[in-house]
Amino acid sequence: MLIDNRYVPRHQKTFTICHWLNGISFLMLFLTALPLYSDTFLFLYNIFGAKTLQYMHRFFAIIFILTPIFGLLSARKGYATMIKEAFSFGRDDLIFLLKFPVTLIGIEPKMPKQGFYNGGEKVNILLQMCIWAALVCSGAILWFGTGVVDNSIRAWMIPIHSLAAGIGFAAALAHIYLAVVQNPDSLHGMTEGSINARYAVHHHGAWVDELIKKGKVTKKEIEQAS
Amino acid sequence: MATEMAMLHDVARCSACRACMVACKQWHDLPADMSTPFKGQYQSHADLTPTTWNLIKMNERTDSMGKFHWDFIKFQCMHCQKPACLLGCPQHAISQKESGAVVINEDLCVGCGYCRANCPFNVPRIDPERNKSTKCDLCFDRIEHGMVPSCAKTCTAEAIAFGTKVDMQKLAEQRLAEVRTNHPNAQLYGVRPNGVGGTHMMYVLPEPPEVYGLPVNPKTPDSIDLWRDYIRPLGKIAGVGAAAGLAGLFVLNRLLGKKGA
Repeated sequence: MLIDNRYVPRHQKTFTICHWLNGISFLMLFLTALPLYSDTFLFLYNIFGAKTLQYMHRFFAIIFILTPIFGLLSARKGYATMIKEAFSFGRDDLIFLLKFPVTLIGIEPKMPKQGFYNGGEKVNILLQMCIWAALVCSGAILWFGTGVVDNSIRAWMIPIHSLAAGIGFAAALAHIYLAVVQNPDSLHGMTEGSINARYAVHHHGAWVDELIKKGKVTKKEIEQAS
Repeated sequence: MATEMAMLHDVARCSACRACMVACKQWHDLPADMSTPFKGQYQSHADLTPTTWNLIKMNERTDSMGKFHWDFIKFQCMHCQKPACLLGCPQHAISQKESGAVVINEDLCVGCGYCRANCPFNVPRIDPERNKSTKCDLCFDRIEHGMVPSCAKTCTAEAIAFGTKVDMQKLAEQRLAEVRTNHPNAQLYGVRPNGVGGTHMMYVLPEPPEVYGLPVNPKTPDSIDLWRDYIRPLGKIAGVGAAAGLAGLFVLNRLLGKKGA
């Protein structure tokens, strides 16, 4: 069933909440740590106080750590789909990865039909999982490891944490650009949990075919909405 | 003073009177520390604290022959030649004086704690109230006025010597020969270049370092070089580059117009 005769249901509400919790906490974590890494942003320490920002960093770290745990309990379907899709990488996903860069300059290549998550989205999910793990492990050792973990190990957590944060930030910028600038129709998916049928058919054609086969939507209503 | 200085602790002479701990507190105006609960032990504080920069550690030990030992060691910042704290500080708040003293500038310190994580000896202590890192500063201010650090001046057993690095190295060898008579396992610690480049706080240890809880092969972590010389600069370039690249793509996208994206 389409929503409003236009939108294909895509994400459950709790799943979208987890997405925003994750995104906002990551952004805040990055901002609260930035003065330590860039003199251009040292003014943030001067305005808010280094102690305050360092406490806020820990506060948002708790949210960042708990969000997927909360999600695995309250948004099981969304997380299960995400994990299943990310780890089932196929030929069509590889073709997507090779061909999609030209879309950045406005060219529309011939693309095999993509599933629930396209090849790029799958890579993003895997990347973010790895970055999350690297940040949480290194961060936890830095925060709680004094006297428990030997400094020869703790010292290495600093570059690991920085590297993961840097890669994460670059990935976040790309993620936000693609969602907001290149494919603004996708935003509806994370704000309302559904995407318009035309977008779904164009970008996730294999998924729409699956939905039709399972009887979740009919071919007729998709054609009418596209 | 342009000469490199050093402090030598002859552990065999130490009577653990702790006058050096009191002298340190007196010179630096550090308050008495009630942070360690008294559990019937002799050691005054369980650990270094933001207001206890010098600690006489006392360990009761029975060796394999059944002989009882009471091991004392004066523990504080080692003032490494290649200080991990200085190299790993994001704010460049730590400097090395000509005397060799490694000193934290509290005005620049933001209390991030990287110095503590990087230190092979686990010395710096972050004051949670003021959010500043603290540690022994070798009384660099006294040294710069031709005086001797407080602890060395006060030592009642002449166990702490202070002078030029060359003199202290010579003295260390001398004392080692004397100590070896009764302590065959005696060795020097920090006197010669090691994984941290040698230290300006030197020891004549009657027993191997692990007996005193000292790392056997202290090393300035390689992770600091990786972080400082590659990751940090790379991050800055990547951040600016990514933002600039995306801004460019954004403009390009608008110019070319989107064809049913």
